[in-house]
Amino acid sequence: MRTKSLSFKIIIRILFFTILLGAAIFSTYYYYTRSEIERSTRENAVFLADNTIKMIEEIIKPAEMIPNNLSWMLETGAIPKDSIMPFLAKLVKNNPIIYASAIAFEPGMFAPNVAAYAPYAYRNGEKIETINLWSPDYNYFIMDWYQIPAMLKESYWTEPYYDEGGADALLSTYSVPFYLNKGGERVLGGIITIDISLEWLTEIVRSVKIFETGYAFLISRTGVYVTHPDPNNIMNQTIFTRAKELEEPELRDIGRNMIHGVSDLTSIDLKTLGYVWIYHTQMPTTKWSLGVVYPHNEMFAGLHKLNFTIILLSFIGLGLLLFFTIRIINRQISPLAKFAASARGIASGDFNTELPHIENSEEMKELHDSFAFMQKELADYIVHLKETTSAKEKIESELRIAKEIQMGMIPHIFPPFPDMPEIDLYATLLSAKEVGGDLYDFFLLDDNRMCFAIGDVSGKGIPASLFMAVTRTLLRSVADKEKSTAEIVSSINKTLSFNNESNMFVTFFLGILDIQKGELKYCNAGHNPPILIKNKKDVSYFNITKAIPVGLFESYEYTEESIRIALDDQIFLYTDGLTEAEDVNNALFGDDLLLQVISQHAAASPREIIEATTQAVANHVKGHTQSDDLTMMSISYYGTTRA
Amino acid sequence: MKHVIFVRIFICCLLLMLSLQTLQAQSEKLVFSPHWIPQAQFAGFYVALDQGFYRDAGLDVQIIHSSADVSSLDLLKSGKADVVSSFLMDAIKLRVNQTPLVNIAQLSQHSALMLVAKKKSGISKPEDLQGKKLGIWSSGFDDIPFAFLRDRKINMEIVRILNTVNLFLMDGVDVMTVMNYNEYDQIINSGINEEELTAFYFADYGYDIPEDGLYCLESTYKTKKDALRKFVQATLKGWEYAAKNRDYTVNLVVAEMKKAHLPNNKAHQYWMLDKVLELITPGNKKVAYGQLMRADFLYALDIIKINSGIKDIKLTMEDFFMD
Repeated sequence: MRTKSLSFKIIIRILFFTILLGAAIFSTYYYYTRSEIERSTRENAVFLADNTIKMIEEIIKPAEMIPNNLSWMLETGAIPKDSIMPFLAKLVKNNPIIYASAIAFEPGMFAPNVAAYAPYAYRNGEKIETINLWSPDYNYFIMDWYQIPAMLKESYWTEPYYDEGGADALLSTYSVPFYLNKGGERVLGGIITIDISLEWLTEIVRSVKIFETGYAFLISRTGVYVTHPDPNNIMNQTIFTRAKELEEPELRDIGRNMIHGVSDLTSIDLKTLGYVWIYHTQMPTTKWSLGVVYPHNEMFAGLHKLNFTIILLSFIGLGLLLFFTIRIINRQISPLAKFAASARGIASGDFNTELPHIENSEEMKELHDSFAFMQKELADYIVHLKETTSAKEKIESELRIAKEIQMGMIPHIFPPFPDMPEIDLYATLLSAKEVGGDLYDFFLLDDNRMCFAIGDVSGKGIPASLFMAVTRTLLRSVADKEKSTAEIVSSINKTLSFNNESNMFVTFFLGILDIQKGELKYCNAGHNPPILIKNKKDVSYFNITKAIPVGLFESYEYTEESIRIALDDQIFLYTDGLTEAEDVNNALFGDDLLLQVISQHAAASPREIIEATTQAVANHVKGHTQSDDLTMMSISYYGTTRA
Repeated sequence: MKHVIFVRIFICCLLLMLSLQTLQAQSEKLVFSPHWIPQAQFAGFYVALDQGFYRDAGLDVQIIHSSADVSSLDLLKSGKADVVSSFLMDAIKLRVNQTPLVNIAQLSQHSALMLVAKKKSGISKPEDLQGKKLGIWSSGFDDIPFAFLRDRKINMEIVRILNTVNLFLMDGVDVMTVMNYNEYDQIINSGINEEELTAFYFADYGYDIPEDGLYCLESTYKTKKDALRKFVQATLKGWEYAAKNRDYTVNLVVAEMKKAHLPNNKAHQYWMLDKVLELITPGNKKVAYGQLMRADFLYALDIIKINSGIKDIKLTMEDFFMD
């Protein structure tokens, strides 16, 4: 996997969380702003519609009062029937809002024999004209303005109509039934009307401007457009035919709500305007319905513009944030790369590598100090290590020399007595890595007697080797032809035991062989019993004596033993480094295996036996590190006959 | 020399053009009046005129409109129109009343007349009409409604109305006589849904009596027989064209309505055109386009006899319908 840089990871995370946070904040802001706009639009729509209606009603309501009062006046007889015509003329003249006015009588209600009479006053330019509306061609009883209020017994605003050839304007007639007393009964007397021009009304509605394309419109009780921004719709279309033409069934539903007097804010996706909000409410007087149309896009146009700005700024901000974050992070963590280079320098041994210069960050300063400390400590340690190493090397060199000296003390030349065919002797001391404490020695006491010894000093190292050297030196100085082996060993013991503060000791086997007689006198001070090979075939250990090693008790008296050695007999001596040689499983070579190996080579010369045994040990340990000195010495006795 | 030849050729061409113009001027002049204001009900006539079908037939047709005050039959009687369209029932009654008119083509083969009521008035079947207020036009078209009520022994309070549906919309009457192609759609276009209405089509109750036909005075028929036949054929061609070109036809009708300063919208005219085209189509009736079925004529005459109480009306199919 490709590892990414720390700064990259930090920046990506910062960026991710910034965008996430930004998106969350933006969404919340957008949601609330939108709701707020919707709420305020709703309020505004209601206010606008109500206000528009109020403006219209302020004109219509006083106008409605005129026929309402007139009906009361007619009923009470306040207006004499013969002055109705001039009264109407005066009424039209004095009320600019009224284009015309009529009082249409039910048959026989104006006068018993008058089937129809409808005095009518109307404007003709500046003049006020009066006529009787009734004619055979104008049967007002079946006109909406008369028939509907007469049948319903309630006042009625007619559907708007275009008065061609008369007012040449859009008019609506307000009709109010009036009652008269006939034979003591209150009966319908007829209908009072006022014709009102709707020019001012359309002007009021048309003046409503909502955003860019929003508008207000007014529909009659049957859904006919009284006002609409598209003049082609006025009086030609109902909201329902328009819904049909535009194939907008929802518009029909809105229209139905409108003519049923419902006030509601609703939305619709129109093919012509797109998604719009419509608030509609009814005019209390005419029962016509006013709708205000808010184009959705324009409602939120400001918000969308602001959103665009915010998003643009956010991107710029994000870019700047990214730029500075990269810069800051790079500046902050750039020492890390330098530290890495320094660490590499230090690792390669240059303890004087310059560390990056840190000024601005506590953490980096701490890292710098740690690095500096490490640098100093490492330098000190290396100096110390150098000293220690050289000291160790010195010691090792000295030890090596000590070992060489030690080995030098041991006779190395074989055969040792070329002039003496009676005996053959071979010995090896394979020392372990450290300086050991094994020893062997042999020398002639006189022409007939050979002294030989093998020993193993307790412990290892310099003390053991010193003790060995002392033992060997003592042997050489103490041994002479007068003394028995016991006396020699006792003497050595006495010297070694004296002031032996370190409590070191040595297992020691000392033998003196009388070459002429073949008599071997020996003293064993706690050493492994040697092996006697008789007639080149019988192999056996020497008897085990109970004498203690040399160096322990000053006054210990060692005893001498003796055996007779026959021709071709061989004595095999060794230290415990042989029998205790371990393989990887800590299995010892052991006495039995030794005896077995020796008996297999019973007829061999001392050198051959030792070499065979060495090989056997090597086979046993299989490369496991040698832990103790391995010392062997073998003496073959050929007697005087060979000479 | 060459110059002289060109002059001669030019003169010849001029003469030829003049003679053609004279020929055109000699084409027969006919004045036609539909029996109501311009609307898709008369689309075939406007199309035939606009598409030149009349001109191609050698006719110079002029369309004049009747009004609420002056009916097409009045125009016919006064001689202001040579051909008029009219309701079959009205034409028979006029003929019975000694106006010498003849049917030269029966355009509509079916009845579009119907009663409509608001379901909220509790009217869902004919019996529910008992005692309710029925709005009927003051201009007529009442023979079939009366036959329907009489045959079912239903008494209704008759309210004569002019020509709007407002009284019905305002609940001034419970039921109203309407034309399926006109007022019924006007009611729907005033915000009442079809499912809120109960409709009684007279055709469904056995009164599928043809309506619009073409009429002229007997005297006109005698003098302009050939021109009238051409007129009928060109008119039928106009209807055929209208059926195939609805958008064009509706636009043409709306333009005519605008000329007459009438409230107009396409939605209603499409509805009307479609319904009127259905009426013209014989459908299950064994009759050719433009022909009056004898059975229909006799049935119409029967209803008139019963309605008027005059039993010995002597009018034959042959006297009335000029094939």
